[in-house]
Amino acid sequence: MSLCQNRLQEERKQWRKDHPFGFYAKPQKNAQGVLDLKVWECGIPGKEKTIWEGGLFKLIVTFPDEYPTKPPKCKFVPPLFHPNVYPSGTVCLSILNEEEAWKPAITIKQILLGVQDLLDDPNPESPAQAEAYNMYKKDRAQYERRIRQIVRENQAP
Amino acid sequence: MDTDDDFMSNVSSDEDMIQDDSDNEVSGDEDFGFDDEPDVYIDSQKDVEKKKAAYEVNYKVYQPSDVQKQQDDLVNEVNMILDISREEAAILLRHFRWNKERLIEDYMDRPNQVLDAAGLSQSSVRELKIRSVPGFACDICCEDEPGLESFALKCGHRYCVDCYRQYLSQKILGEGEAARIQCPSEGCNLIIDARSLDILVTPELTERYHELLHRTYVEDKDNLKWCPAPDCENVVECAVKKKDLDRIVPAVACLCGHRFCFGCALNDHQPAPCELVKRWLKKCADDSETANWISANTKECPKCNSTIEKNGGCNHMTCRKCKHEFCWMCMGLWSEHGTSWYNCNRYEEKSGVEARDAQARSRISLERYLHYYNRYANHEQSARLDKDIYHKTEKKMVQLQKESGMSWIEVQYLSAASQALQMCRQTLMWTYAFAFYLARNNLTEIFEDNQKDLEMAVEALSEMFERPITSLADPKLKVEIMDKTSYCNKRRVILLEDTAQNLAEGRWTFNTDLIGSSSNGGPSVRR
Repeated sequence: MSLCQNRLQEERKQWRKDHPFGFYAKPQKNAQGVLDLKVWECGIPGKEKTIWEGGLFKLIVTFPDEYPTKPPKCKFVPPLFHPNVYPSGTVCLSILNEEEAWKPAITIKQILLGVQDLLDDPNPESPAQAEAYNMYKKDRAQYERRIRQIVRENQAP
Repeated sequence: MDTDDDFMSNVSSDEDMIQDDSDNEVSGDEDFGFDDEPDVYIDSQKDVEKKKAAYEVNYKVYQPSDVQKQQDDLVNEVNMILDISREEAAILLRHFRWNKERLIEDYMDRPNQVLDAAGLSQSSVRELKIRSVPGFACDICCEDEPGLESFALKCGHRYCVDCYRQYLSQKILGEGEAARIQCPSEGCNLIIDARSLDILVTPELTERYHELLHRTYVEDKDNLKWCPAPDCENVVECAVKKKDLDRIVPAVACLCGHRFCFGCALNDHQPAPCELVKRWLKKCADDSETANWISANTKECPKCNSTIEKNGGCNHMTCRKCKHEFCWMCMGLWSEHGTSWYNCNRYEEKSGVEARDAQARSRISLERYLHYYNRYANHEQSARLDKDIYHKTEKKMVQLQKESGMSWIEVQYLSAASQALQMCRQTLMWTYAFAFYLARNNLTEIFEDNQKDLEMAVEALSEMFERPITSLADPKLKVEIMDKTSYCNKRRVILLEDTAQNLAEGRWTFNTDLIGSSSNGGPSVRR
């Protein structure tokens, strides 16, 4: 069995055994109804005591054949209003970049927790979309209003 | 490229000779341009530390083995002084960009912080080797079969050998990383040292790894640069700093014969400084001159904005596209043009005069640019044809030997002439780019006189060089060619010396606002 499939199965096992509260992560079913381990549908809750609290955001995680040598791609569906999320929804985060901090030992749990941290702690050094970045830099109050509204539209059940 | 460049380096050593004792070169036929030649090949490190002319810089050429030795020496030294392993010493040195003094000072002050920052662990007990640990499961592939071989750095993050290998080959082959490969564990910044790597991977990978490490040594040090010639592995050391580049043009010659600028790694571009060369190349490459031509030679239809070039006829224009009728002079409606048909009386209006001046200015600036560009391109092309010239020379020399019964040494003057031509054309080419940015003053006049002298000599030599083989055998022409060759070389040295001295003393007035300085007609055109 390939390294990629093996590792993903183990990740799945570990996740079902234990995962952080409020999160979900499950492999998607493909067109034939077969479980596709290389595409996961995940949900990331906003952290408590931040403006993101109460929201739940859907993330599609796609694993390349070279996983875990290369990192998976994380994409918010629909694209999220956030300085480090590209207009396509792809997340710009150092641990998800193979040239930066990606390490083969990073688990799905660590990735999702990393993305959750990013929500309330954007990195102004690597902006990925103009709208959210500019508002974050220039008008913090408006930015926070906007986030609260997005949280209302994506309430956790 | 390699073969004719080989000769270039000889020419440069000829020049050294010319400076040292200038009577020597015409004294005897046999030894002209020849007695200096072996030096280059005997010294593996071409040491150029005698007194230099203003246009020359001190530099050294190292071969790959020299570079390796330098690194080894530094590593050994640190290894002895600080009592750490050679692998660790290498990692520390890389972290400090091979600044040994700073490394030792910092390490003495606060060893733990230094080790942390460089990605070294402070515990130094455990022996690193591949082992199988009972009950081990690899966190990367999730294998846990008994007897699985695994490896861990001093940090203790243990992974199976297969995963480690895959990780390392991805880093080394995929990303070209070597000096800063960290432990595969998240957040662990321990650097994998050369010995651990040797334990883990195949010899091919180790070779590539050491090659990459080798490369970081040269790239980390500001005073080292790779020779940019294809397949050349030599390294040039030169102390010229980036901030000095507006004062000096550091032309260096590698052992492979390639002459290049240490500042920007482009081909030797003396006498023009790097910044100016960058601008000139950009100007030649981009479309700005097309736009200038359009603004100098065309107007736009006032109605549909189509670009129109007027190539004859009267001022009554009818746009082909939109059939708009207007006056070419004042650009006004033709129907409102009053009774003065075919004679625009609004011509002298202020706006009309301004428009005309603007057009004239852009015409002058275009002409000025083309003046320099054509000459630059001409020499560039001639320089590109150097290879042919050289091959022709070779044939000529053989032919001449056969026909006149001269010996090999007696026909060397032809190759010396060919080298001189190449060098001088290269220099001339850049004098035009340089002159384009010069403001008009006395210095510029002197520069242009030098340029003219060199150019005339080069063209004369080039002309002699093209003569049929039969007349080349004539001893009179031979002497003439030799005289001209040495004259060309001397003129080139004089021109470079003058330019470099003024550059070093900051006496040139450059002119980026090209329109402003062309007011007195631009430089004189020479025939």
